[in-house]
Amino acid sequence: MTAEVLKYTLEQVEALELAPGAEHEQLEGWVPTLANEDDLRIALGKALDYRGDVTLTLKSGERIEAFIFNCQTGPALADSYVQYFTPSAPEKRKVSYAEIARMEFSGKDRAAGKHWEDWVKAYNEKKAAGEKNIALVPEALE
Amino acid sequence: MAVPISQMWTVSTYVLKKKLAGNKQYPLVLMLEPLFRCNLACAGCGKVQYPPHILKKQLTPAECFAAIDECGAPMVSIPGGEPLLHPQIVEIVNGLIARKKYIYLCTNALELKRRLPEFTPSKYLTFSVHLDGQRDHHDFSVCREGGYDIAVEGIKEAVKRGFRVTTNATFFDGTDPNSVRAFFDEVMGMGVEGIVLSPGYSYDKAPDQNRFLGRARVRRLFRAILSNRKPTWKFNMSPLFLEFLMGDRSYECIPWGMPAYSIFGWQRPCYLLQEGYADSYKELLETTKWAEYGAASGNPKCANCMVSCGYEAPAVIDGFGSLKGFFGMVRGTFSKYRDQHALNLLNEPAPHGPATLVQIAETAHSLEETNA
Repeated sequence: MTAEVLKYTLEQVEALELAPGAEHEQLEGWVPTLANEDDLRIALGKALDYRGDVTLTLKSGERIEAFIFNCQTGPALADSYVQYFTPSAPEKRKVSYAEIARMEFSGKDRAAGKHWEDWVKAYNEKKAAGEKNIALVPEALE
Repeated sequence: MAVPISQMWTVSTYVLKKKLAGNKQYPLVLMLEPLFRCNLACAGCGKVQYPPHILKKQLTPAECFAAIDECGAPMVSIPGGEPLLHPQIVEIVNGLIARKKYIYLCTNALELKRRLPEFTPSKYLTFSVHLDGQRDHHDFSVCREGGYDIAVEGIKEAVKRGFRVTTNATFFDGTDPNSVRAFFDEVMGMGVEGIVLSPGYSYDKAPDQNRFLGRARVRRLFRAILSNRKPTWKFNMSPLFLEFLMGDRSYECIPWGMPAYSIFGWQRPCYLLQEGYADSYKELLETTKWAEYGAASGNPKCANCMVSCGYEAPAVIDGFGSLKGFFGMVRGTFSKYRDQHALNLLNEPAPHGPATLVQIAETAHSLEETNA
């Protein structure tokens, strides 16, 4: 949590009737502009929240398709790194922030478009049409 | 009493040893997520939305054993994903039993009946079956018609084979407390050892989610549900944690009490938030900025949380770590929590429309606040 994040008082927390929930950012396809260090740190922070793969292009020219699950930040880019899994390797890998030249939120956002309200609407429509065994099924692991 | 004496003894002596050793931060339950793959696709679920290559990954038995051996928790909860989809889940469970860990294998039970012959009943092993309420409510909640019937079939078979079985339910805004109480009657009638329940939490990396119970509403809902208990109801949870949910006790979140371990590592700071991972439990303890989490921190991500992974551990430590807490726990185990105010809450109009079945409701009426 950073200092600029809105803080609740304990009294406010205890009196809370409804929590606002989370607003899901549409990031799929986004290519952030990495003009400076802050841009890179912000983009990698968003990549950490993203439920899809990100393509990293390193300054060496190497391209990595990565699911980023950890950002370890230090004072300088060289002290900071991301940890990720790639589709083709079983082990965790890491790369320094300082090596990253370009990012693209290239993979499908697996958390997008799965609103509770969508299910309620679909269910009611299918029920009205007389369908049986109505269900959502997990996506295929292609 | 839903929790066996041997389990209570193990946990109580563990807590006392830690207290005598002056250890301030220690785990009670390891939340071991061996995989994120699931055979349900519950709308709004915050746990399983990953690319296929992540969903195909799973912890090896050796990685699971290394995690429990490192942290030393006396209990292990195995959520997921659906643990019964892990091809080596029997080996993982048997290895944990060999280590005398009390295991709660959390399952939606779609595969339970089929897989049961592979397991051996043990006092260390409990199947904790996800049931969110009565048939319609549960099916709607897990987005699968017929899910309740399959789960109940699994529960009955497991009970018949001599396994310890509990149910676990999560309640969201719009939950009808009368329906929940009827659900308690139903599940106790199936012969389960006890009930586990929790208020919902707004995973901030999950799909768009709009409305979750705030703390005031959690307390009101759980006061309505848990007061005026029937003698047949048993809860497989700390009585002090249930009093916390009802608004009778205050605890601070101690996420290190129920650390989560998965293919990514040790989750920072807790099972619900994903703010990075540590490579070891020691690193998790030493490098996580704990003061930035929990309701008292003011962190908005923690504002609606009253979930067991943060707040049951302090209740357990309170119960086994002090005479006052212990007597409170004994009293809570046998109390019926008679409360006229809570009875009145049950007579309030039920939530409207589909919300009587589901998580998110337009609760237009304003209910009276419970005490904090």
